[in-house]
Amino acid sequence: MALLDLLLVVGIIAGVYSLLAIGMNIHWGDTGLLNFAHAAFFAVGAYTSAILTTPVLETGLLAERVVGFDLPVVAGIAAGTVLAAGLGFVIATTSVRLEGDYLAMVTLSSAELVRLVIHNEAWLTTGAQTLKNIPRPLESTVTTLPVSYDLFYFLLVWGLVAVTYLLFERMSSGPFGRVLHAIRENDDVALALGKDVSRFKLKSFAIGAGVAGLAGSLWAHYVYAISPVMFLPSLTFLIWTAVILGGAGSYAGAILGAVVIVVLRQVTRFIPGSVPFADQLPYIRLMFVGVVLVVVLYYRPEGLLGNAQRLQAGTSEGE
Amino acid sequence: MVLDPQFVWNGIVVGSIISVSALGLTLIFGILNFINIAYGDYMATGAYIAFAVNAQMGLPLVVAIAAGVGGMAAGAVLVDKVVFEHFRTSSPVTLLIVSIGVAFFIRNLIRAVWGPSGNFYDVPIEANPSLFGVRYSVEQVSIIIASLLLLAAVYVLLRRTRIGIAMRAASDDRTLTRIRGVDTERLVLYVWIAGGAIAGLGGIMLGLDAQIRPNMGFTTLIPIFAATILGGIGDPKGAVAGGFAIGILQEVSVVVIPSEYKFAVALAALIIGLLLRPDGLFGEATR
Repeated sequence: MALLDLLLVVGIIAGVYSLLAIGMNIHWGDTGLLNFAHAAFFAVGAYTSAILTTPVLETGLLAERVVGFDLPVVAGIAAGTVLAAGLGFVIATTSVRLEGDYLAMVTLSSAELVRLVIHNEAWLTTGAQTLKNIPRPLESTVTTLPVSYDLFYFLLVWGLVAVTYLLFERMSSGPFGRVLHAIRENDDVALALGKDVSRFKLKSFAIGAGVAGLAGSLWAHYVYAISPVMFLPSLTFLIWTAVILGGAGSYAGAILGAVVIVVLRQVTRFIPGSVPFADQLPYIRLMFVGVVLVVVLYYRPEGLLGNAQRLQAGTSEGE
Repeated sequence: MVLDPQFVWNGIVVGSIISVSALGLTLIFGILNFINIAYGDYMATGAYIAFAVNAQMGLPLVVAIAAGVGGMAAGAVLVDKVVFEHFRTSSPVTLLIVSIGVAFFIRNLIRAVWGPSGNFYDVPIEANPSLFGVRYSVEQVSIIIASLLLLAAVYVLLRRTRIGIAMRAASDDRTLTRIRGVDTERLVLYVWIAGGAIAGLGGIMLGLDAQIRPNMGFTTLIPIFAATILGGIGDPKGAVAGGFAIGILQEVSVVVIPSEYKFAVALAALIIGLLLRPDGLFGEATR
């Protein structure tokens, strides 16, 4: 049935966004770090996975990619996750000591630099053209089964979301998470208690970036073809909206927020083209996301599932 | 290695645009104490208002510039009344996130009204004259002159007028300024007018130098932030110095690095500036 298929597609996108939101939540919700580089981690995961699992193809008209490894998909996903975590670590080493909004500026700029590299280094990434023919995991096996491939992928993505959720929930309530929360509330206190604050921030940054990389790999293997325009800063801002909407500090909230945002964006695709302003719908949709973000921050700054006591993580100091 | 004076000239043009834009951003920061992500979209709005008046209504460019600058000054006040005013007591980080929502709204409103593709102002296209081997255009010369005039005007505003002196005082210490009887809420209004007008002008300059696109301001935000932070956030003369430094460095850097990566210069300046001189070039950052 066509509607069910569409719902599966929306569900897969929502799952990928949920992973992104989980990664963002350890940065912002748990540690109070303003990470504006999420799109870059997502991109590194996607491109690493894509490059590792495709052979060298001579398809480019303007530029030719000369690197390709044709490895199994699992290797690609693992490497994408690790490399994104590595990038998170590198970006964080330059900037993790900076105060909140300075960190935001540096991470945003770093993410744009990463996108620039992907865009320009065509020998590695096919540059501005799309990197095509990314293999789907177990495709030949699944097609022999009586289920659609989308259903399989939906279950795979949400299975990973569930595992990640449980892991992060556990980490957040464990000793590691408690230090992160202390840093979020007041890093001087954490420092006075003998915690190596910078180190914890670095770890938090790398872990969250890794999850975003995992999301990127899953995305690449689902959509077949990726290009640099998929990784604009607006993606980062969408994930921010999801985390704020769901409630910073709550992993269930992060997932809920991501699902709401994806549904908001995708559901309007079902509106027929004959309504007024149909051409402007994609933009009106994003305007609406902006409104949602501001309204949530005004009326319910703790988000849908956030803890009102903690209010907005990391912002309790100062004012 | 011979330094082509053309690169220096281009750098001065780009530096003028960044300086003007960074000045507006830093003024807003000085009084309101938050980084306004929507600032780049204010610039784009100014550019598009001017585009509507100039290319779509067919009025002369001077009228269009006045409309763009005035329109964006009013627009900035409107956004403040609708959104930012309700978050006056929020932390800088909350305001930063609120401004992301505002940025989303404005940028997509522009796309909805004018479409996503690039546009140009209706200016006569002529072969660019050259002088001492440097090719220049009338637009570039106008950009530099306009930016110098604006910088002088802002200098006079901040140094010679009561409003400007109050602005500088509030930028240093808002509470103390209030205790001394300055109506800081009124000051906020003035700073949005000034900041919005400057953003509008910066956007129009950007559109004259290159193209008018919905994301033109957003993509220029990074060098603008770099200039602002390099100069010491909240410090107007630092922002101007930082703007010219980054503009010139960025254009001259093509001598040593591939031109696709000249934007990395702003990032490097940003990081090095933050690590080495967190208070800015003149050590007068407002925090």
